[in-house]
Amino acid sequence: MAVLKYESQTRDPLVDGHKDYHQVTEDIIRPIEANPSRLWWIGFIISVCLLLFGVYSVYREVTYGIGQWNLNKTIGWGWDITNFVWWVGIGHAGTLISAILLLFRQGWRTGVNRAAEAMTIFAVMCAGQFPIFHMGRVWMAFYVLPYPNTRGPLWVNFNSPLLWDVFAISTYFTVSLLFWYSGLLPDLATVRDRAKLKWRKRMYGLLSFGWTGSTKHWQRHESLSLVLAGLSTPLVLSVHTIVSFDFATSVIPGWHTTIFPPYFVAGAVFSGFAMVQTLLLITRKVLGLKDYITLNHIDVMNKVIVLTGSIVGVAYLTELFIAWYGQNGYEWYAFKENRANLFSPYGWSYWLMMGCNVLSPQIFWIKKMRTNITVTFFMSILINIGMWFERFVIIVTSIYRDYLPSSWSTYYAPTIWEVGFYLGTFGLFFTCYFLFSKFFPVIAVAEIKHILKKNGESYKAKMDVIENKPAEKFYEETHAVPH
Amino acid sequence: MSLKEQFTVPGRFRTISLSLMAIGIVSLVAGYFLYGTGDEHYQVRFWGTLIHNSVFFLLVVNAAMFFICATTLAMGGWQLAFRRVSEAITVAVIPLGVIALIVLLALVLGHQHHIYHWLTPEGDKILEGKSGFLNPRFYIIWTILTIGGWIILGRKMRLVSAELDNGPVPVEQGRKYVFRSTVWASLFLVWFALTVLSTAPWLWLMSIDAHWYSTMFSWYTFASTFVSGIAVMTLFVIYLKNQGYLELVNREHIHDLGKFMFAFSIFWTYLWFSQFMLIWYANIPEETVYFKPRVEGAFKGLFWFMFVINFLAPLLILMRAGSKRNYTTVTFMAILIIIGHWLDVYQMVFPGLSQDPETGKYHVPLNFFDIGVALGFVGLIMYSTGNALAKRPLYVKNHPFFKETIIHHT
Repeated sequence: MAVLKYESQTRDPLVDGHKDYHQVTEDIIRPIEANPSRLWWIGFIISVCLLLFGVYSVYREVTYGIGQWNLNKTIGWGWDITNFVWWVGIGHAGTLISAILLLFRQGWRTGVNRAAEAMTIFAVMCAGQFPIFHMGRVWMAFYVLPYPNTRGPLWVNFNSPLLWDVFAISTYFTVSLLFWYSGLLPDLATVRDRAKLKWRKRMYGLLSFGWTGSTKHWQRHESLSLVLAGLSTPLVLSVHTIVSFDFATSVIPGWHTTIFPPYFVAGAVFSGFAMVQTLLLITRKVLGLKDYITLNHIDVMNKVIVLTGSIVGVAYLTELFIAWYGQNGYEWYAFKENRANLFSPYGWSYWLMMGCNVLSPQIFWIKKMRTNITVTFFMSILINIGMWFERFVIIVTSIYRDYLPSSWSTYYAPTIWEVGFYLGTFGLFFTCYFLFSKFFPVIAVAEIKHILKKNGESYKAKMDVIENKPAEKFYEETHAVPH
Repeated sequence: MSLKEQFTVPGRFRTISLSLMAIGIVSLVAGYFLYGTGDEHYQVRFWGTLIHNSVFFLLVVNAAMFFICATTLAMGGWQLAFRRVSEAITVAVIPLGVIALIVLLALVLGHQHHIYHWLTPEGDKILEGKSGFLNPRFYIIWTILTIGGWIILGRKMRLVSAELDNGPVPVEQGRKYVFRSTVWASLFLVWFALTVLSTAPWLWLMSIDAHWYSTMFSWYTFASTFVSGIAVMTLFVIYLKNQGYLELVNREHIHDLGKFMFAFSIFWTYLWFSQFMLIWYANIPEETVYFKPRVEGAFKGLFWFMFVINFLAPLLILMRAGSKRNYTTVTFMAILIIIGHWLDVYQMVFPGLSQDPETGKYHVPLNFFDIGVALGFVGLIMYSTGNALAKRPLYVKNHPFFKETIIHHT
């Protein structure tokens, strides 16, 4: 019944520009069929160069050892683990959008979920590099896998949150990949059906697993999506929860605090959305998708940013306050001297974190700011920086002054190879993203079509008829036949 | 086909609510003579029950306003069919807020230092160190501001909703209305974050174990009372439905309320586990002291029983779609969840109060008194909500999103 496609006109449309089904396909699939633009090539080549620099940096580290980095006995975790947590955090938005927002029936997710999920997968791939190469003897990395072996007592430690990370992140990666790929199937089939070249037809035919679009396929597809959404929802929470356990199970001042799990998850969603904004603002411009990634989408995502930024703010203030309230001298010293004291060696990083993550997102209370593209882009970068510093603050300011003052390490700056490794992951991330945007539809065509009659601009305009009806009459008409 | 918009409080409902309140008052009086007039340790028993019940039920009804504000900001249309029910529940924040205020101020002004050890910090270095926060003056001022803020902002939200009764709202005006209600909703939520999600549980509950601290505590309390708040809303919705009102509400809406109960029960467990596991794992004496009587001592049985009905029961029973659409199952689970979280707050309050000073042993003082007082609060919430429901139309039928709730499909 057509009336079931109703949505209040008070809400802005989610697909602008009076599209019909065919036009949606055209707009989104065309960039895949055309040759890549000059801009695409420039971006791609820069990314590959960064990736190669990263590969070389890692080569140095593997060949000469961890000494290539500036870590020392006191600061045993530095840029590497900071980068790891930062990337994992970014990898949260995608699955949040695709799973939790699916359960919450948020129609706007359809415009952004595909790219956000891809981002998630690439970010988790980047994150994984850091703990693996931090092991030093990376060829022993398989030791983290528990399987019957002849190594005697050399067996994984199930009590260690670091091992839980192995399970949590690999599970998250697997489920996210499945979710993303199963969502891609109908769209890949569309690309296949439109393909004119033989190799394209064959390639996309293979990738789409023989999708025909029959009712049976759709029915299975829908139930699979729900099952995967149900599985992913706890995973979104569990991954960063377990990352927070890496710190919170310890007795290090500044690390052992019970609020860490939900606060890390909120921070991860916060940084993930910032990265989604960065990527999508570029994507919508370069690929001309302004009708699908509308100002409405950007507005809503900025609301998520101000919400999660404020949750993180409450958590920052809570841990600062309880550090004092607990009256534990070590805990309070870590917060008062190592962090909040601007003139301590790393005090600046604490205030940078506060400024970027708590104060600056507050401008998004104002709608004008939320719908301003320049401001949004600038803010998304600022938040990415702020969230990097959050992890840096947690890690470095807690450990650079340990319980034994003689081993305090006053300053830690990364070497070129440490920075190179980080830049290399940017290379990996963007190389993957450029390839993705060339070969896959960056917006879920089938899902946009699904919401078109409810949220498309021209369809919404026709809802006047319903809008002017009294509620009683509308109820009567829609419930004429009992169901 | 016209909608039934006017609720009249059924005689039976009124009788039950008044009887429950009478039970509450009788229990209170009996409790006062049994415990309240005795020596200091008996008084602790008396005041402990009052603080447990007044704070728990206040946070629960206030959680309904949190739900209203959160769905307002999220622009949720689905819940408008029973929006007035949520609003009516929040009217109880006024009487419960006043009662809680009296109890909390009486504790501090009456110098009940066996409940709040921080009232006499002299000689205790840690409590002296905390006295910048834990002191009578700050406690009183902040408690008044906290409860006053909830009452005033909650009332404003209800007034903004009442404007809808004036007549149809065209689309352009609807946009302005939605914007204005989000402004007030966000003000409420900011105040909520500064109180429920941080300071209020620290001051009122966590400071009973004055030496102990946990950054998670307030978020944990929030999860407990929010899921109970959803359960209370569900119960009222189903009651009205059974009385022949709320014809717009159907299984789809109940299903979604069931999802909320399911999801936030799991969320509660997540916070419960995180707080417990991190303290257990790090094994720092200053922190583990809190769980000693709860997990190993006298409260062990209660602690795990509470865990079973707050986690295992919702997980296993509400997992299936069918059970979330079954009115009987949902009603049963809502009652179970309220009892479970009532016990949760009970075990936040009492272990800190029931250690025998001579033997050092703990005991669980749970009897008719606690249950009677709790029933009194239940009666008061019923009475207040029933009256509030009768005062306004049952539907916000001019709300810009209202038609979405009519065809809501989960």
